[in-house]
Amino acid sequence: MTKQILLKTAASLHQPSKEAQNEFSQKLTSLVETMNKTMLNRSDIKNLVGKDNIEMMKDNHANHARFMESVFENYIPEVLVDTVLWVFRAYRSRNFSSTYWAAQLNTWITIYETELSENCNKQILPFYKWMQVNIPLFNQLAEAEIDAPLSSH
Amino acid sequence: MEINDSQISTGYLNALLAGKRKKAQQLCNSYIQSEKSLKELYENVMKPALYEVGKLWEQNKISVAAEHLATAITEGILNSFYADVIPEKYSGKKVVLACVDKEEHQVGIKMVADVFEMNKWESFFLGTGFPTSELIKYIKEVQPDVVALSLSVYFNFAQLKLMLNKLKSEFPEITIIIGGQALAHATETTLAEWKDILLFSDLYELDNYLRNLK
Repeated sequence: MTKQILLKTAASLHQPSKEAQNEFSQKLTSLVETMNKTMLNRSDIKNLVGKDNIEMMKDNHANHARFMESVFENYIPEVLVDTVLWVFRAYRSRNFSSTYWAAQLNTWITIYETELSENCNKQILPFYKWMQVNIPLFNQLAEAEIDAPLSSH
Repeated sequence: MEINDSQISTGYLNALLAGKRKKAQQLCNSYIQSEKSLKELYENVMKPALYEVGKLWEQNKISVAAEHLATAITEGILNSFYADVIPEKYSGKKVVLACVDKEEHQVGIKMVADVFEMNKWESFFLGTGFPTSELIKYIKEVQPDVVALSLSVYFNFAQLKLMLNKLKSEFPEITIIIGGQALAHATETTLAEWKDILLFSDLYELDNYLRNLK
């Protein structure tokens, strides 16, 4: 049922324009660099991602940006829902904190506000708002498939 | 005795996870000896087992090493059946096969190459890590009838689009076939902006297409 809710709400998101897609693609590398730098400056970073997971976090940021680039170019709600769920499962099972997702999405949004044009930001922001709002649902679905107990941090 | 594909696949998965290449090979040999086809082995035994390996990695229940070993064992077994795959004589048709630029998973497209060979096509399998500029040079050299591309992870979709734009600009008439786990949710509109692009969801569909080609 929860997944159906995610699919239904994801279907209301709109694919960004070609212009916005191109801008995102062109700035992708620098967006990832800024993201890594910002997250690494956080004093609570080890609590968010778990011990020895810094490199994995950087991989996640690079993969996230490439995935969103693909989503913006060819939006399929099922792919968005399935992939975000996959990411939640893969990273939670490696002791990333559930609060990492909120921190990550907030940081992307802040970076986009300064690095992207108003037009581009306006079109991609709904995807991030949708992911933010649905963190509890994604957590719930991901946890249901992971046998290991939740990390306490 | 009735062969249960699901049970064989579970046995194959267990052999892969234990790193037992000999056991995995024996299971595949017995499966083929029971008059099952290689396509059935690939689709009904190996594919579900490898998808399960991916799922176990995702849940942190196996290591990266175990995942790589499972892939390496499977590729080795595919190679062992090569003599059964190659035709006595080729039909004259050629296919060049590669993974989308930046992709790291090549088992699926290797199986696709075998299905072409079973249908008497000469296959030129390039695998992963092949830049589009080099692929274009190679296509000019080999002049295939079809180019086959594999996309396993969706975050390379933007890369696939770049590749298709370049290939179609160089070879407007060439047929390009695409498949892979990342395209499980793809629809007709996904690739509608290009001409002569075909999407296949499994090896049976591809085999059927090749058999019905004039």
